Amino acid sequence: MKLLELDAVAAAYGAVQALQSLSLGVAKGEIVALLGANGAGKSTTLRAISGLLRPTRGEIRFEGAPIAGMHPERVVRLGIAHVPEGRRVFPGLTVRENILLGASNRRASRAQLGREADEMYEIFPDLLRLQGALGWTLSGGQQQMLALARGLMAQPKLLLLDEPSLGLAPLIVQQVFRVIARIREQGTTVLLVEQNARIALSVADRGYVLETGRLVTEGSPGELWDNEEVRAAYLGGKVTKAA
Amino acid sequence: MTVLLQLLFQGVGIGAVYALVALGFVLIYRATNVVNFAQGQFAVVGAYGMVVTTADLGLPYWLGILITLAVMALFGALFNLGVYYPLRNRSFLPVVISTIGASIFITNIILGVYGPEPSMLAPMLDAPGISLGNLFLDAQYLTIIAVTLALVALQYLFFEHTLLGKRMQAVSQDKEMASLLGIKVGWMIMLTFIYSAMLGGIAGILVAPILFVSVGLGGQIALKAFAATIIGGFGDVPGAIVGGIAIGVIETFGAYYISVPYKDAFAFIVLFAFLLLRPSGLFGEKVSQKA
Ligand SMILES: Nc1ncnc2c1ncn2[C@@H]1O[C@H](COP(=O)(O)OP(=O)(O)O)[C@@H](O)[C@H]1O
Ligand SMILES: [Mg+2]
Repeated sequence: MKLLELDAVAAAYGAVQALQSLSLGVAKGEIVALLGANGAGKSTTLRAISGLLRPTRGEIRFEGAPIAGMHPERVVRLGIAHVPEGRRVFPGLTVRENILLGASNRRASRAQLGREADEMYEIFPDLLRLQGALGWTLSGGQQQMLALARGLMAQPKLLLLDEPSLGLAPLIVQQVFRVIARIREQGTTVLLVEQNARIALSVADRGYVLETGRLVTEGSPGELWDNEEVRAAYLGGKVTKAA
Repeated sequence: MTVLLQLLFQGVGIGAVYALVALGFVLIYRATNVVNFAQGQFAVVGAYGMVVTTADLGLPYWLGILITLAVMALFGALFNLGVYYPLRNRSFLPVVISTIGASIFITNIILGVYGPEPSMLAPMLDAPGISLGNLFLDAQYLTIIAVTLALVALQYLFFEHTLLGKRMQAVSQDKEMASLLGIKVGWMIMLTFIYSAMLGGIAGILVAPILFVSVGLGGQIALKAFAATIIGGFGDVPGAIVGGIAIGVIETFGAYYISVPYKDAFAFIVLFAFLLLRPSGLFGEKVSQKA
């Protein structure tokens, strides 16, 4: 049984059909990349999973149980944490407060939460000296680290990451992806949305490619990268030799 | 000098009442982006709670206060469910109109029961006040100032030092993200309405003994609380407190030195001056940083 399964899911914003009959699966322990150009429906897929958007058709199952249309406050309690596009750090709260609020989906004592927040500073050392800084003062890279730390505080079984590389300098992107690889090593399954296919495929076990709300192809990173048609059309890669 | 201090004392006292109403106003605005035009009516309901319990039913003051506070909590919850919740996913205007409708509804219920004649309440405390030389510190004004200070301190501790307070702040900053984290957004907003209604109710309880209690009180207080939030920078919590006290002081001095009949106009004048010259309020810079 897959940890997460989408079965013929469709979703719309009013009259705009954003997803049409999308089916995909994520097994426990995997990093799965969801790729595609801007507007392909990647964020919409994550929003449907986490409950921000109610699918118009289709089934979403998490650990075998249906979750489509469930309220986000309940979905996160099942163990799905969504780190949305744009990080969405609380601007008027401090770094530490942002981190602590990540655990709002579960019961834990204040002392326990404090210890867990301290552990986050081991994964994200930059956040330690910033712990008293307000969210809006952080740089993009720092906000991304904070958004990841906040997501991890939910102790999710499945982490949904939406464009963690967006707007970051290449060096910071590498840092972020090292953390993502480390998150998986610690047993968390990751569904990773990216426009930056090269970096996403460098950590992923499998990938799906979306175009205008439909699945175009799926496969291992090598298969996707070697398919020149796919690469030229959807992955934004020039036809040069990939590393 | 004595006159100045005396006026200042009274101005701060009445200003504290405006500050409490303004605070409720700001908290609801921050949590829901709704400008609640019924905030002044919360104070009126609180004041009439005291009229009903202490004047009509003859209950002791402390019991009247407890009952009124409980009624205000219930009132805040019903206000949320009836006025805000059904329209929460609509745009700004329908909700604002809904609060105006609620305000008219409350006013007319009270008018129907008590008519337009004002009611009077006995003083809350037996002691009339304290004399400091030529300065006379009225007991009710002292009570107002003390209660307001205590509430502001408690509220600060709550929002800055409890996880629940942080969750409520998170909801006011980004509801969608808050719900993704598992914060129960609907409950946080419910708590905000309950607390804001109680703040308004406390303002009403506190002014009831020094003003005539009538339905007209709501409009007056709402206007000044609104002016207070403009002065303080719309949506700014410390600003609302400073703004409320500023309005109280300005109108008290204005009434003494310029004109008593135009007492209520001073809040208007200050409001217009700020809207024209400094629309972001005294603490404007901080607000613009939020964007
Ligand atoms: N809030 C919205 N209202 C209307 N249309 C939207 C909204 N969000 C996304 N869309 C549309 O849905 C489609 C998929 O968008 P999205 O899932 O954000 O794409 P991606 O994340 O792959 O860039 C696009 O055509 C986009 O214009
Ligand atoms: Mg997107």
